[in-house]
Amino acid sequence: MPPIIDLNKCIKCGQCVDICTEDVFYGSKEGEVPTVTYPKECVHFSGCVYVCPVPGAIRLRFPLPILLVYKPE
Amino acid sequence: MEEEFLECDVLCAGGGIAGLMAAIRAAELGAKVIVVEKGNVKYSGCGRSGNDHFETYIPEIHGRDMDVFIDELLRTAKGEILIGREIYHTQFAKAFDIVQLWEKWGIPMKYKGKWEFAGHSFPGRAMTHIKYEGRLQKTILEREALERGAQIMNRVMAIDLLGNGKKICGAIATHTREDKLIIFKAKTVILATGKCSRLYPSLTPGWMFNDPHGGVQTGDGRAMAFRAGAELQNVEMPQRHIGPKYFTKFGQATWIGVLKDPHGKPVGPFVTKPDRRYGDMIMEVNKEVAEEYGRSGKGPVYMDCTDITKEDYEYMMHWMKHEGNISLLDHMKEEGIDLRKNPVEFATYPLRCGGLIVTNTKAETNIRGLYAAGDEAFGDISAAATFGWISGENAAAYAESTEVPSIKNEKDKIDENKRRIVQIRNRECGPDWEEANIALQQVMNDYAGSVRNEALLKQGLSHLRRLKEKAKTLLIARNPHEIGRCLEVLNMLDIGELVFLMALNRKETRGLHVRPDYPFTNPVLDQAHVIRMKKNKSVIEWRNY
Repeated sequence: MPPIIDLNKCIKCGQCVDICTEDVFYGSKEGEVPTVTYPKECVHFSGCVYVCPVPGAIRLRFPLPILLVYKPE
Repeated sequence: MEEEFLECDVLCAGGGIAGLMAAIRAAELGAKVIVVEKGNVKYSGCGRSGNDHFETYIPEIHGRDMDVFIDELLRTAKGEILIGREIYHTQFAKAFDIVQLWEKWGIPMKYKGKWEFAGHSFPGRAMTHIKYEGRLQKTILEREALERGAQIMNRVMAIDLLGNGKKICGAIATHTREDKLIIFKAKTVILATGKCSRLYPSLTPGWMFNDPHGGVQTGDGRAMAFRAGAELQNVEMPQRHIGPKYFTKFGQATWIGVLKDPHGKPVGPFVTKPDRRYGDMIMEVNKEVAEEYGRSGKGPVYMDCTDITKEDYEYMMHWMKHEGNISLLDHMKEEGIDLRKNPVEFATYPLRCGGLIVTNTKAETNIRGLYAAGDEAFGDISAAATFGWISGENAAAYAESTEVPSIKNEKDKIDENKRRIVQIRNRECGPDWEEANIALQQVMNDYAGSVRNEALLKQGLSHLRRLKEKAKTLLIARNPHEIGRCLEVLNMLDIGELVFLMALNRKETRGLHVRPDYPFTNPVLDQAHVIRMKKNKSVIEWRNY
């Protein structure tokens, strides 16, 4: 379920909550680790990942239905 | 429910490329501007995470005859959009000025110090699009709007226009994080809410928000415009796109490769080796090629970049980031997919709603004080930026010449919107927005899908109207976020109904509107197909572009 937050790394700055247009983090409280309330509304553009000031504190787990199809070598 | 009243000269509904460009221009001309955006302007709209192509006409490069340039452009995907020639003339008289403004504001429009034309063009023909580094464009446009004094209200969704059908006097909006209604008294409203992305099922029907537009462009502006008496055009004409299978993203022209069948044979006639100047134009000539190959047993088709040079590979990856495809690159890295070794399957994406709000060269609609720009009117980055600017300029001038409107006759409409929201919020059980959205997608796909006929369309229309009535009386929302989603679905139900009405009236086959009961394209109907509300009834007419 995208996105995934590392509780040990998150500094609770809320930038991911602020930037997400779909408001996947709806209901998150200021000063707390964001809540992923509506994971299925994620559009996988990674805005939250790239706005996060701490590398690795948030990542997207791309859901199985959207896996890219490719030809192995 | 809390209510707030605000006043402005120019209200921009939607803060994508067009909405922000409108705000920038109107504010610098001295208008009091408010932008309402249901997400966050830093990351909303089709340009949210970047773009890398901007079509522009430069007389020194393309020659003095702009029509030669336009003719070439209409051979590409741009030709799908059916509008009058004067709209293009207006766009390309201005687009290069906008390019230079963006460059000045810090959006890199040059590559290695020069205009870099590539992509969206046929080998050996005039090039129409420059490459640009648009990854941070939204942040930069937001800054420019704020610097000029525009007020930006994120998490505020415009839901209905105020006015008497001839003249606009404001809009009603709802907050998507608080139980709050905001009523705007506005001299002008610029609609810039983008396309309508959740009307038809996505490529991954169980994963509705997997849409290259993002998931929240839901035809809000079109639905509001129609209800307010504005004209919509060709809503029944669907569009399709082609791109990576399942991981749906725009940016076909950013790929430097050749679209090939499973045996390595190029699908189209344009390129046989990856070429950074052109990409593979077969995807613009026929976006259904992937689906056709699948259906006829010749598929799947692959975007094959394996013959790419080292320099062209680096060039492509650079532009992928600016086109907004960073998450795609992250995904490929995680999965060990290397485009130098692995062809990637491409798919024709499902139908999406087409059409537009009818505007003239000043971005005006038929309602005084109401403007539309961007995908709302007619899209792509260059058109959104240029007509966003033009709409802001004209709205500011009109606002200056007119008095602050009164909204005292609008009480019923405001109360009706308030009542509607409170009812949805107070219901304890019933369908939520998602259930209603799935039902809507089913009826659109099954009854106004890739093949249509009179009986099918009539049955679908009657079923959709039943759904609409049920949605109006049964929808539930657990919080303000879900209220926003419910209002989106109600807007899409309005748009869906218009698709049926107009598809029934278009008694011919044209483009992706396929009617076996009227199998031929009727040259006489090479006109604008326009619908509007008159005395609570929809009126459809044909007229020249």
